[in-house]
Amino acid sequence: MKVIKAIYNFIVGDMVILIGVALAVTVLALINNISFLAPLKGFSGLFLIIAVLGSLVGSLSREAFSSRR
Amino acid sequence: MQWVVATASFLASAVEFVEAFTIVLVVGVTVNWRSALLGALAAAATLALLVATLGVALVQWVPLDILRTVIGTLLLIFGLKWLKNAILRYSGLKARHDEEAIYEENLAKIRARGEVGASSSRFDLFGFLLSYKSVLLEGLEVAFIVITFGLSAATDTVSRSNGIASAALGALLAGLLIILVGALVRAPLARVPENTLKFVVGIMLTTFGTFWTGEGFGVEWPLSDVFLLILAVIYLGASFLLIAWLKQVKKQQQVLEIEHQPAPTTVQTQEVNP
Repeated sequence: MKVIKAIYNFIVGDMVILIGVALAVTVLALINNISFLAPLKGFSGLFLIIAVLGSLVGSLSREAFSSRR
Repeated sequence: MQWVVATASFLASAVEFVEAFTIVLVVGVTVNWRSALLGALAAAATLALLVATLGVALVQWVPLDILRTVIGTLLLIFGLKWLKNAILRYSGLKARHDEEAIYEENLAKIRARGEVGASSSRFDLFGFLLSYKSVLLEGLEVAFIVITFGLSAATDTVSRSNGIASAALGALLAGLLIILVGALVRAPLARVPENTLKFVVGIMLTTFGTFWTGEGFGVEWPLSDVFLLILAVIYLGASFLLIAWLKQVKKQQQVLEIEHQPAPTTVQTQEVNP
């Protein structure tokens, strides 16, 4: 458990960023592999940029308005 | 030679080397230089072994598309973490990294253990381990950046090796520069603009992470590689907006704190009748 926590803190250290990026990657994988979603492929890049910025804003908001600070 | 990879690796490594150097300096001054340098050298050897084995394994066995997706995602997470911390520090919501304070804190800890004996050249296990641990931990981040940057920038197996070599060269130059400057001034490198470096590296890692993750999923970026510059400008602009917003938030929080502070109580004096 200690090792997993150390790896998590080393690479991520932030749950909002991890979830945001994981969701974005999952959606991109779905768009890339499901033929029904193929028309959305042209918007994949834009979606990724918005997801990255969204994760950053989410994580910063949590830090800024956290009562623990 | 891939200059973008080497530069990114140089900047990221410089930040980590400053942090590691501070601890080695404390051990050298308080315990002795022999233990401090042996610990640092042992950690450097461990890191070199890690980069060589992991780097070679990844170069030879993992297909490029999978590598780009996985490493792009890792780079994205790593870059966002650095960028977030740099933005919080710029906006004043997080204290800036103070090498001088870290130096003094570690000095006090070692002195509290009664380990002051810099004049002794006897090998000291505590000093060795402290130096080894700090260089290894900070160096792991450097190794991570060297491997990911070196591999992701490549398009085939030959340029993958070239990419790792470029990134390793950037990290090596950063290490040498920090050691040289540190040896000359013999003090914690508090004047290195650490937050600015972290901010620049955060932007670079996020930019490359987005680009390679997208390419891993078959995204065709407009203008091809030139789009990296556009991405960097987008993230830079967004970061400045976020810093301005968070500064406002901090001001509002300070005003609210002042308003909610209890008013000073007036001391009521009672007349004492004899």
